[in-house]
Amino acid sequence: MPNVIFALLLLMSALVPQQAAAASSGWQSASHLKAELVSEYQQLTAGQTALLALHFVPDEHWHTYWQNPGDSGLATSLSWQLPEGVTVGDIIWPTPSAIALPPLMNYGFEGQTILLSELSLPAGYSADTVQIGLTADWLVCEEVCIPASASFSLSLPVGADAVLAEQYQPLFAEAKKRLPKPLNASGRFDTSGAAFSALIDLPQALNVSQFFVAASELVDHAAEQQIVLNNNQLKLQQPLNTYFSAAPDALEVVLVTDSGAYSVLLNKASDSATDILITQGQQAATPLWLILLLAASGGLLLNLMPCVFPVLSLKALSLASNSQQRQAQQRDALFYSAGVVLSFALLALLLIALRAAGQAVGWGFQLQNPYLVALLVYLLFALGLSLSGVVQFGLGLMNSGGSLASAKGGKGAFFTGVLAVVVASPCTAPFMGTALGYAVGQSATVALTVFVALGLGMALPFLLLAFVPGFARLLPKPGAWMESFKQWLAYPLYLSAVWLLWVYGRQTGIDAQALLLIGVVCVAAACWLWGRRQLAQAGKVSTALALMLLLLALVLPALTSGTSDNATQPQSSSQHWQSWSAAKLQQLKAEGKPVLVNMTADWCITCLVNERVALNTESSKAALALYDVTYLKGDWTLRDAAITEYLRLYQRDGVPLYVLYWPGQPPEVLPQILTPDTLATTLERLSRQP
Amino acid sequence: MKLRQLALAASAAVFSLGLAAAPQIGAPAPDFTVVDSKGNSHSLKDFAGKNVVLEWTNHDCPFVVKHYSGNMQALQADMTAQDVVWLSVISSAPGKQGHVSGAKADELTASRSAKPTAVVFDESGVVGKAYDAKTTPHMYVIDKAGVLQYMGGIDSIPSAKVDDIAKATPYFANAAKAVLAGQTPDPAVTKPYGCSIKY
Repeated sequence: MPNVIFALLLLMSALVPQQAAAASSGWQSASHLKAELVSEYQQLTAGQTALLALHFVPDEHWHTYWQNPGDSGLATSLSWQLPEGVTVGDIIWPTPSAIALPPLMNYGFEGQTILLSELSLPAGYSADTVQIGLTADWLVCEEVCIPASASFSLSLPVGADAVLAEQYQPLFAEAKKRLPKPLNASGRFDTSGAAFSALIDLPQALNVSQFFVAASELVDHAAEQQIVLNNNQLKLQQPLNTYFSAAPDALEVVLVTDSGAYSVLLNKASDSATDILITQGQQAATPLWLILLLAASGGLLLNLMPCVFPVLSLKALSLASNSQQRQAQQRDALFYSAGVVLSFALLALLLIALRAAGQAVGWGFQLQNPYLVALLVYLLFALGLSLSGVVQFGLGLMNSGGSLASAKGGKGAFFTGVLAVVVASPCTAPFMGTALGYAVGQSATVALTVFVALGLGMALPFLLLAFVPGFARLLPKPGAWMESFKQWLAYPLYLSAVWLLWVYGRQTGIDAQALLLIGVVCVAAACWLWGRRQLAQAGKVSTALALMLLLLALVLPALTSGTSDNATQPQSSSQHWQSWSAAKLQQLKAEGKPVLVNMTADWCITCLVNERVALNTESSKAALALYDVTYLKGDWTLRDAAITEYLRLYQRDGVPLYVLYWPGQPPEVLPQILTPDTLATTLERLSRQP
Repeated sequence: MKLRQLALAASAAVFSLGLAAAPQIGAPAPDFTVVDSKGNSHSLKDFAGKNVVLEWTNHDCPFVVKHYSGNMQALQADMTAQDVVWLSVISSAPGKQGHVSGAKADELTASRSAKPTAVVFDESGVVGKAYDAKTTPHMYVIDKAGVLQYMGGIDSIPSAKVDDIAKATPYFANAAKAVLAGQTPDPAVTKPYGCSIKY
């Protein structure tokens, strides 16, 4: 009996290769490559479709080419010889690899390569075999290239049932695995402004690391690719090929992601109404470490801001004054750092959550809400009063950040950290809004990491003071001078409060500002009463009165509608700008007029300085007039979804943003720090271009 | 912030350098100075007043071999007879395919009955990169005023098969004839095809 089974097995094993051979043309050897033609089915039936595979195994390091071979090379091409009525479709291309031959770039396949095509047998096919002939032309290259051509033939029986070629199923499974998955996404592309740009609305978040444009001579294959993902909207950009002549109406792009490759069909953007923007390399991805380093140094710098410095310098001095208790100091520094970092992380999460909820907010949102601005005015003012000696926060029972900040031990240190972040928040927006906004625009993880780095940078001086003895020794000796120093420090806080008051006034008008000033007086009175109570000069009535005054102060800014009436400011005849709207910009561009767009906000110090030194100068006004440039200004002082949308087009999440549109040229983003001659020189350069 | 600006400025500068390298139709062709197989030096500006053809080549490249089956020699003979300066440029780096000595270049010219004005060497790849030359063959036509008039492929069928020459639209030949007749070639830019230049 075992002998019979053995004999059967032997028979079967002898039969299998024969059957398999029927589904394959057999290997053909060519220079540096062997090839075979394989059918998915060993027997076909009328009316069916089946896959055919041209299976290449090149020598190591040798490659063949994709449908767009890149800068040189040649795509593999197939020509079929088939019976009447039988058809074979185009090659279903697998995902290619980028093969760099600096300064050139090719797209192709190294190692085992399987090119699938789909065979269709008509329903009325009556013959009992299908004779398939294939002539394949390919170019196989390492650094040198060898063109080759080979013919394959395959004869497949046609019967009542289709029979899979079992032995080759792994090959077909592998081939299918290597195909880019079709992505159900709408996208468009544009070739204006010396670059290929594409905008794709993704159905899901994809971490795209690389893309391949299937059209040949369209992109400069060796040039750096720019890939920006913003809320599931993917933006691709790569400079145009020198030999680009015309774009097809639609083209395929393969996106390589960490979860496999996807193919998307893009339509050519119909006209200039669909604006895909080119910022000429300014979107070049900054490496993450550099962003983190910048964020950390930004955090360090925050310690010097007028709203933060007074609060923190006191903390630093208190650290220095009790230098005996190193352990306590170190614990305080750690808790303080935790407070700072956690607050920043919380802010980042808030921002991410708001954006995920579809809110058009960017960094600086905390200054776009007049009520929040009012609260910050109160906070800075009260802290100033405390430094002036009117009131001592922390000795009483008031449950605010201020009192907690002075509480003994780790809790106190932690809340000093939180307070530092809160008072720093109006300063972060104007000075670091763009950098932070950029980070927020990347991904949740990147955003969080950047905010944490910012927090660490801000906490760094305290960590150094606590853990590196040398730094503590640099601080001046404690003494009576500290008291007057502390009182001097109140004034930067008052000035910060004045600045925020001005922002509030611009946002809400002079009436609301007056109300807020009354609120400020209430806060002053409340603090004074509270201070008297602390010195045991006043009773419970004072406490109640102080609380009532505080409540009144909180209610007052809420009474105003919060909408600005300065939007209706009369446009004076000497004003050289018009207010921005997407429609107006579109219209001017359609008319072929040069346009300067300035996105600004009253709370943005950089914006105000730029306008003063570079935009509102006589020479810039003359340059705008000379080149007949229309100057559009968008005001982001209050929340404005249209402006946020516009900023996002330029991968920005904050102001300032200056964009110059010159007819026939890609939009040019001006630097964030303008010099007096930036505008004039840029206009002169643009006007000289053909 | 300063550092970020600096990084942006630097990347913008690198990018604009990259742009500056791209040759443009209708603009003056990038000037160059090269030494030919006989040791003579040639500059583009020496040829002012003459039409110039640049042909990137690599004798071992199958696509070059395809056109040296007679097509390229015929074009060279036709053009040089009409006072066109035809430079066959070899940008292959030393040790790479297509890199030859002056003597070998002359021998190849003789054995293939080629008729270029000169075979010139660009071992460093400077000229090739200035013209953004990518393949062999890769053709350029520069007019008497030194303005680039055509760049791209030799014809319309990218293949290594000699049979295809007759079926293809001879883009380069058409463009060169147009320039000789004082007209503007159409198309002036086509897809170059062939082997990669061995920079």
